[in-house]
Amino acid sequence: MLVLKNKATNLVLKSEKKSLLRFLTLYVTMITIVIALSSLFYYETQEKLMLAEQRAILTKYAYIQTKRLKVLHHYFDERRTYPRDPRFTSAIYDIDLRKIFSLLEEVNIRFDEEIYIGTNHIHFVKSLDEYFLGAKYLILEIKNDGIWREEIWKSIIGYGLLAFLIFIVFGLYLAKLFLKPMRDSIILLDRFIKDTTHELNTPLSAILANIEMMDTDVMVEKNRKKLTRINIAAKTVSTLYKDLTYLTLEQEKENEDEDIALKPMIENRVEYFDILAKSKNITFILSLEHATIFMDRRKLSRIIDNIISNAIKYNKRGGKIEITLNENLLKIKDSGIGISEEKIPFMFDRYMRFNQSEGGFGIGLSIVKKIIDEYNMQIEVESKEGEGTTVVLRW
Amino acid sequence: MLTLSLMSQDIYERKCVPCHKELPTSLDQMFMSYLSLYSGEKNVKAVLKYYLQYPSKSMTVMSDLFIDSYGIKNESNLSKKELNEAIDIYWEKFKVFDKLK
Repeated sequence: MLVLKNKATNLVLKSEKKSLLRFLTLYVTMITIVIALSSLFYYETQEKLMLAEQRAILTKYAYIQTKRLKVLHHYFDERRTYPRDPRFTSAIYDIDLRKIFSLLEEVNIRFDEEIYIGTNHIHFVKSLDEYFLGAKYLILEIKNDGIWREEIWKSIIGYGLLAFLIFIVFGLYLAKLFLKPMRDSIILLDRFIKDTTHELNTPLSAILANIEMMDTDVMVEKNRKKLTRINIAAKTVSTLYKDLTYLTLEQEKENEDEDIALKPMIENRVEYFDILAKSKNITFILSLEHATIFMDRRKLSRIIDNIISNAIKYNKRGGKIEITLNENLLKIKDSGIGISEEKIPFMFDRYMRFNQSEGGFGIGLSIVKKIIDEYNMQIEVESKEGEGTTVVLRW
Repeated sequence: MLTLSLMSQDIYERKCVPCHKELPTSLDQMFMSYLSLYSGEKNVKAVLKYYLQYPSKSMTVMSDLFIDSYGIKNESNLSKKELNEAIDIYWEKFKVFDKLK
């Protein structure tokens, strides 16, 4: 039970991966935006706080400088030296924003802001009540050392990363929580298949063996037709049974790889499925060259059986199946219902079925994909709705 | 000689300075008073021009004590052009720009 559960839990479907990826992308985008906005808000708040502290200091400096300007104004006929202070540099502008005198390093002044950060300096713009020396605006400039900015960035990066990690852990927990019902369903289905597979073996073998043993020559036409129908049904169940047993029991077995001649094997499988094909008036068109492959016979059989079985199952009545074989390529083309292009990437997902009118568990092609991946083979699927599907295997 | 000397003087020297010589407050002190109240060149010139044309107690930059002692000046008899010229000279003579170091 535990082994089965682990096996199923480790099975990550493409759709599950996609859901997870979508969720995580959305989640990461969302938390990145939240963290970025919070950081921006924090940065602006800290900047305002810093400017508020500077404003208090600069207001005091401005008061002192205004007093000096007042003195200079009253003694202008005697003194012409602009008052200087080692703590700041300053400038005076008249009401028309014309420079009267300036010691500032940065020339562009934003008169509409009381305090702001320039390129390398902090500027404080004081609007004077009395225009000493004609100065309406007194501008104070102090060096912006940028230490406060470094401190803010350190905090933002530190706390931002911490918050990001916490959010990611929380997101993964959430994703697990959301995906749990899907995984539980897969485990339940796996358990059900394993239990039922055991029960199918004996009766199915008995049916197939007895059909083979029956002498159809002595039968009346009516009974022969009935037997054919039983044979078709039994073979359909047999293919399904083989897939199920492969999935639940045989895939764990060690491979018994050998050189297999593909032509006789395909002919054999075509003959096996012929009765199914005839029931829908489907014609096989074979173009087989000699080719060999080195792999496990059971696994190769699962690939061929599943592709041919699907080509029959999803074919039109009176359709055809073209099988082409050459040295490194096997192509199986049907004239069936086809599937839309966007669904092709998901057709190898386990339990994925696009046509509910046909039976099956949706496990055949997932087995095919697993074996193909194991043997580093390539599979290409081309399909057009209403025209048919072509499956190409390369090795 | 006197005529020649008068001819060489500008309108400010001829029409403004003589009257202000009699007053205890110098023209440059008055200029600084205007500057401290009106700041920019446009404002100062406009206010000066208006006051010279329409002198009144409410418009003066001088103290009440000064006005009580010397009264409000008479309306200027200069033409607008002469007035502008005199004010421009006055501004150029006492402006703060380029004088600070």
